[in-house]
Amino acid sequence: MTNSQVDRRVHFDQGDRCWRGQFIAMAGPCEILCETDDPDEARSLAKVAAQEAWRIEDKFSRYVDTNTIHRINHAGGAPVTVDAETAQLIDFAQTIYEMSEGRFDITSGVLGQVWCFDGSDNLPSSEHVAEVLAKVGWHRATWKAPVLQLPPGMQIDFGGIGKEYAVDCAASLLRERTDHSCLVNFGGDLAVTAAPRNFEHWVVGIEAIGAGRGIPSKLLQLRVGALATSGDARRFLQKNGIRYSHILDPQSGWPVADAPHAVTVAADTCTQAGMLSTLAMLQGREAEAYLGMQEVQYWCSR
Amino acid sequence: MMMSKVKPLFVASLVVWLGCGCSSMGVEPWERDILAKDEMQLSGDPIEAATDDHIYFSKEASSGGRGFGGGGCGCN
Amino acid sequence: MSNSDKHKVTATLAAATCSLLGSSLPDPVHAQEDSTWDFNTALLYYGEDNDRVQDLSVSVLAKRTLVDDRLLTLGITLDGLTGASPNGALPQSFAQTFTQPSGKRIYSIDASQLPIDDTFKDTRLALTANWQQPLGRLYQFNVGASASREYDYTHLGINGKIARDFNKRNTTLSAGVAIAHDSIEPVGGAPEGLSPMLNVGDLSNRNKSDTKDIFDVVVGVSQVISRDLIVQLNYSYSDSSGYLSDPYKLLSVVDGVSGDAIPRPQLPGIEGPSHIFLYEQRPEDRVKHSLYAQAKHYRNGKVLDASYRYMTDDWEIDSHTIDLRYRWPIRGTHYIEPHLRFYSQSAAEFYNLSLVDGDPLPDYVSADYRLGDFDAITAGLKYGWQTGGGKDMSVRLELYRQSGKVAASQLIGNQVNQDNYPDLNAIILQIGYQFGK
Repeated sequence: MTNSQVDRRVHFDQGDRCWRGQFIAMAGPCEILCETDDPDEARSLAKVAAQEAWRIEDKFSRYVDTNTIHRINHAGGAPVTVDAETAQLIDFAQTIYEMSEGRFDITSGVLGQVWCFDGSDNLPSSEHVAEVLAKVGWHRATWKAPVLQLPPGMQIDFGGIGKEYAVDCAASLLRERTDHSCLVNFGGDLAVTAAPRNFEHWVVGIEAIGAGRGIPSKLLQLRVGALATSGDARRFLQKNGIRYSHILDPQSGWPVADAPHAVTVAADTCTQAGMLSTLAMLQGREAEAYLGMQEVQYWCSR
Repeated sequence: MMMSKVKPLFVASLVVWLGCGCSSMGVEPWERDILAKDEMQLSGDPIEAATDDHIYFSKEASSGGRGFGGGGCGCN
Repeated sequence: MSNSDKHKVTATLAAATCSLLGSSLPDPVHAQEDSTWDFNTALLYYGEDNDRVQDLSVSVLAKRTLVDDRLLTLGITLDGLTGASPNGALPQSFAQTFTQPSGKRIYSIDASQLPIDDTFKDTRLALTANWQQPLGRLYQFNVGASASREYDYTHLGINGKIARDFNKRNTTLSAGVAIAHDSIEPVGGAPEGLSPMLNVGDLSNRNKSDTKDIFDVVVGVSQVISRDLIVQLNYSYSDSSGYLSDPYKLLSVVDGVSGDAIPRPQLPGIEGPSHIFLYEQRPEDRVKHSLYAQAKHYRNGKVLDASYRYMTDDWEIDSHTIDLRYRWPIRGTHYIEPHLRFYSQSAAEFYNLSLVDGDPLPDYVSADYRLGDFDAITAGLKYGWQTGGGKDMSVRLELYRQSGKVAASQLIGNQVNQDNYPDLNAIILQIGYQFGK
């Protein structure tokens, strides 16, 4: 299966003092805004960004059966040699794994087989969770760049880093090609390549949870830098009056208690912003305290 | 008379509304992009709505509907 | 969670990201929250033809968003009204004279002219305040107050509403209550219903002031049908009690055969009405029920807003309102929005064009055209855009036309020769400006 069935066109229109290219990537709406008067320049920049997004999507998507991730996840215990980019991502994931004391773990994707967050009260049994938990844990993997060996049944998934990484890669490419200010927005995770010249800042809206009922969204003035949002989008289970959010603790296999519904963080790069918002969610009740400790700008909805 | 039919009609439509599997109608929270747009709000432009309500309250015998019924002035 | 988790991870994260992205990190982030005051202002002109009512008003609505999705809204409207309103008497084939509401002097109306009272120059100030906040995750409540003052009318009201979400916020149920207490101090005093219009200087049939209490309940449900369609259904109940009559409105007393107004004996040296006019009398209570349905649909950037309202009350007035708006974006942030509204109402049970001399007086009667049988249509166009600074501006022009329907059976004798229920034609022009976002 490939992603060729998905619409891979870039649609252009002109905004207020900028040009905008829109396309679908990473299962969501993406847009590139360029502060330029030249529509041809905007078109070529948007195409460059879109192609980078699709390249990364195809390379790391779980649904493409010819890519690196597929080879890794179906190696049946055999060692797999990976390319430089994949190696860098695995290095990064390992650093974060150690930094978060195991809370961020790219092998935790298999827990999705057990948990289905559909608002019902179908909690899995502890035996079932324990069974799958045996296949989670970066410490069980053997990684010595560029060779990765996963025990049989284990899988890795870059879902927690992929989109933010793609934003930063696209932003880098645009920075090489122009010094006009561009805003790269992949479904709400975004970065600005350079400070705009003709206006003070880009204006980015964060939707308040009550959006649609007369509550204006929060608006941020973003001059340069990145924003990333982690949200549960109301996916949860509920039983006996306790709500289990969809953020799973890879060490227990169970949901993190009292995670906020959405966290938005501002940082220099989208990767940093994304990691901080994810790590904050994993702190559950302590999300705001954790972010406060990091001295970063953040916005939390509970 | 019409009046006595209104209440049961409303209660009936409300019951049908909630009971007809509206739990399956709707969208996921991440699909609310269009619904969050200003122009898709049910309340519309607040000043325009209030102005129209006031004009029609003073020129006609009906008022309100979307919210409370206009009024609050000596014009009717 | 252990204490060591709380140490700063930003340095480690920065270094790791640097390695990942393989280049030096870009400039430090520069982000800040935008201003949270939002101002909505409008200038409105309303003008009727034939020297009738004209109104100029200025409105400002200020919204302040506070932490945790709490919202404060404050509104102020100032409007100035001039021009004449029909006083309820019928045009005749001869001139007529009326005493002004103040009782100080008379005014004359030519033959075949609709009797209108042009002594209204009024300024009104209205204030509203509303506080909205979430209650827990699924509830939202609103509480508000309203007040207005014009020289003969004071209004004070409070309202509250609670709403709850269901089905992943696709369904919202809401219920609201409003109560108001209004006081009316008509110029010259409120006349006794069904008493005659008296000579200049004679205010013997007037009461200084009177009051009106209103109780409103609205319950509603809104439902998201799909990504681009949302609908709403509301039921409203309204109960007004107290002084519901219009103190400035009256009826002509006419001859049962000719339909002409009955002349009134004039005393030498004393000015007064030329014919017999009786002040109207409406019931002291009115209960209204409304059912309102609305849908908003989005397609390729265009939004269609369609609504229908049915109203019925215990004065036997029934009305239907259909309102259609279509917002059509054109280049950039510019859009046009055509608007059509159809309205139809049936007369109040006690509505009558005139009173026949010699017939027993009814308990309640009014010739106020606004309680009669009529259709109205509004056609308008709004043009909106965003200025260079990101502010929203709009201009709308609407034409409103009301056409009364007077049954031939209601006309007596010579009344058929007159335009007893002239059409109302009005222009609405509004300029809006939104800033602060």
